[in-house]
Amino acid sequence: MSILLQMKDIHKVYPNGTAANRGVDLTIHEGEIHALVGENGAGKSTLMKIMFGLEAPTSGTIEYKGAPVTFHGPKDAIRHGMGMVHQHFMLAPSLTVSENIVLGEEPRKGPLSLFRDRNKESQEIEKLIQTYGLKVDPQAKVETIPVGQKQRVEILKVLYKGARLLILDEPTAVLTPQETDELFDSIKALIKQGYTIIFITHKLREVMEISNRVTVLKAGKTIATLLTKDTNPEEISRLMVGREILFRVDKQPSVPQDIVLSIKELCASDDKGAPALCGITLDIRAGEVVGIAGVEGNGQTELVETITGLRKAISGEIRYFNEELIGKSIAQIRAMKIGHVPEDRQTTGSSLTSTIAENLILDHYRNPEFKWGPFQSKKKIKQFTKIMMDVYDVRAQNEDVMAGSLSGGNLQKVVIARELSKNPKLLIASQPTRGVDIGAIEFIHREIIKKRDGGAAVLLVSAELSEVMALSDRIAVVYEGEIVAVLENSSELTEEEIGYYMLGLGIKKQKEEVAAQ
Amino acid sequence: MKTGNATILEFAGIAVAVILALLCGFAVILVTSDEPLNALASLLLGPVSNLFNIGTVLNKAVPLIFTGLALAVVFQSGVFSMGAEGQLYAGGFLGALAGVYIHGLTPWLHLPLVLICAMVGGALFAAIAGLLKTYANANEIVTTLMLNFVAILTTSYFVNNMFKDPNSGGFARMPYVNPEILLGKLFPGFPAHAGIVLALLAVVVVYLMLYKTNVGYELRLVGKSSRFAHYGGIATNRVVLTSIMISGAFAGLAGIVEILGVHGTYKDNFSAGLGFDGIIIALLARNHPIGVLIAALFYAYIQVGAQTMQVGSDMPREVAVIMQVMLVLLVSSQAIFVYLKQKYGQKAVK
Repeated sequence: MSILLQMKDIHKVYPNGTAANRGVDLTIHEGEIHALVGENGAGKSTLMKIMFGLEAPTSGTIEYKGAPVTFHGPKDAIRHGMGMVHQHFMLAPSLTVSENIVLGEEPRKGPLSLFRDRNKESQEIEKLIQTYGLKVDPQAKVETIPVGQKQRVEILKVLYKGARLLILDEPTAVLTPQETDELFDSIKALIKQGYTIIFITHKLREVMEISNRVTVLKAGKTIATLLTKDTNPEEISRLMVGREILFRVDKQPSVPQDIVLSIKELCASDDKGAPALCGITLDIRAGEVVGIAGVEGNGQTELVETITGLRKAISGEIRYFNEELIGKSIAQIRAMKIGHVPEDRQTTGSSLTSTIAENLILDHYRNPEFKWGPFQSKKKIKQFTKIMMDVYDVRAQNEDVMAGSLSGGNLQKVVIARELSKNPKLLIASQPTRGVDIGAIEFIHREIIKKRDGGAAVLLVSAELSEVMALSDRIAVVYEGEIVAVLENSSELTEEEIGYYMLGLGIKKQKEEVAAQ
Repeated sequence: MKTGNATILEFAGIAVAVILALLCGFAVILVTSDEPLNALASLLLGPVSNLFNIGTVLNKAVPLIFTGLALAVVFQSGVFSMGAEGQLYAGGFLGALAGVYIHGLTPWLHLPLVLICAMVGGALFAAIAGLLKTYANANEIVTTLMLNFVAILTTSYFVNNMFKDPNSGGFARMPYVNPEILLGKLFPGFPAHAGIVLALLAVVVVYLMLYKTNVGYELRLVGKSSRFAHYGGIATNRVVLTSIMISGAFAGLAGIVEILGVHGTYKDNFSAGLGFDGIIIALLARNHPIGVLIAALFYAYIQVGAQTMQVGSDMPREVAVIMQVMLVLLVSSQAIFVYLKQKYGQKAVK
């Protein structure tokens, strides 16, 4: 098999300093299905953007059919016969399937004609659909067809433009199992006709089922490229999540006391209304940190939002010191000594165009102590803000600096200061150190442990498995909206074991055991 | 330090816009006038050449200050209301009704009552758009623009029919309001009416409300980051509705002060765009109450200057329209720039 595409030592550093790719090697053979796996943030999407000409690499080379190429935009990539099916469909909902497929390259009645040749168009589309067995009604409006068919339209669009190498970015994320099977049939049909497919996913079952080879990315680097038939899900998962220990936190063993938060059979939907949480049951005690481990998008966000009142629960109960939280307003919940460090500090956790002071008084401005008659007491607010900035080491000239001008670490300290200064009995910390410098990470970790030792119950959600392991006393692993395991965090617990559950392999194993009995 | 620089930059940006707009007007005058120096002089110096003109500038600025404040408030909460014009009519109408048809009160009770009626009228009419936005998720730009027609045409119907003064001749207007509550001249020989005092008071009230009270804190927070406000437990819909209604109340005041200070009664179509001029004022002022005061005075100055130029030279007053339009273009393009910078600039700045 000849080499179709080769990417060598690709680096990509964004202007804000994020290194998304730190030395990726990828070799694609002609006619293969090549799976690209890695956790969120491993650099898959960046790599694909570089491959497709949407971004320029900081360094590294790309060779296509043996010759070095530079793509200045997707047009270059398309001209070379590459096509990308994006995770989020790029279709015009009010146009028909056929119109979407030919969009931009409509057949015309003559080379200079302004009029579309609809006969030729429908013949070409019909032929395309026949050839590849991607069944879809060309005259149907895109907004009326189901998701699985929309994806076929995306694929047909790419094929119509003459692509020979198809990049599918997490194509199964939005599909039902049946639709996934149909997609796999289509992919196999394409391979028979000599196409090459790059298949991005983090579902290992799919890697095993469909790919010929698999490349594992981790933290922006290529870890390994393996022949699928020579490997197994356990090995891939170990390669995906195993990583250097980044965090070392000094902490005493926990002394768990009474139950602070008790979640029973909790169910909730995601933003689109699809089930995101089903049957979550979890207790958190005073004086312990419970970490939630899981690949991002398995219900962590929804869990935190449901507890804090930002999202409606469908069923189940959330008891906080024997008081039901479901049905309470966000303001009521915040007033109950529940601190919430949200996962997105820039849009949810702070107002970037407000001052540090305005960000810090969010829970206090109604407090009579901060008022002077009908007015806010500038003096009191200033005093309070100064103390907060001192205690939580927020480095800024004064309290009237815009929050948006702070570095990521300092901004996160503002959020932490606000949420911890209310002396929470329950602290919910979501991605508390994402994108934060090492110094701030250590500081934030110490503060979280301080709260635990002070008798607070802590729920920690983090995409960094090493962070979850460093801080947690117990670890609950979520997979597709369910808690699949609750593990005591002892020195025997390994990342591989957690990773095994994170990727849903635990469920499969249990099912097999049940079947065997 | 950074905030200071940003403010200075923004101020400089507005100054550049104002200067460019003025230069455009000057250029037109230089090209078309036979006596350009005379025209320029009467445009620039006319408004301050005598007490009468100074008073006229103040009188013209009064309604602009009120509508400018109305829009500054609502813009600060992130709501792009275009409805001050309609709210001005609705509030002015209700206030005028109270001024015309309620008898027997001392002026010290009657005037506040009339002002309150105008505020209530404006606020309630604004609440329609507010409720449509918060409960039906209707775009406020569309609803407020449409509701302007509803207010203007409904009040026009009333004042042409059941509330028309039988002695008005051909004019569509109400009977005159209680003469004791009219906003009189500040002092004899100076045409400025007492509305300017109310307008200055309103600037102070809005400033304190926006920057020194919890209402203003919530309002600005919702405008700056509605997700953050929501996360913090602030009922964002309630805040949006409140801000739209406060805005309506000030638009209503613009209407009634114009009636009590200038017309003496409710006249059909008396505003002719004060609510839309308020949008320009608020944009020029970057939604700051003090800025509104300055921008409204500047705007009125140009208008009076155009009038004196028309009288004193061969140039028509429409030159002022050219400058106003240029100002709108320049300032709104800057506003878009600032908005984009705030929205997308942060990441790059970091």
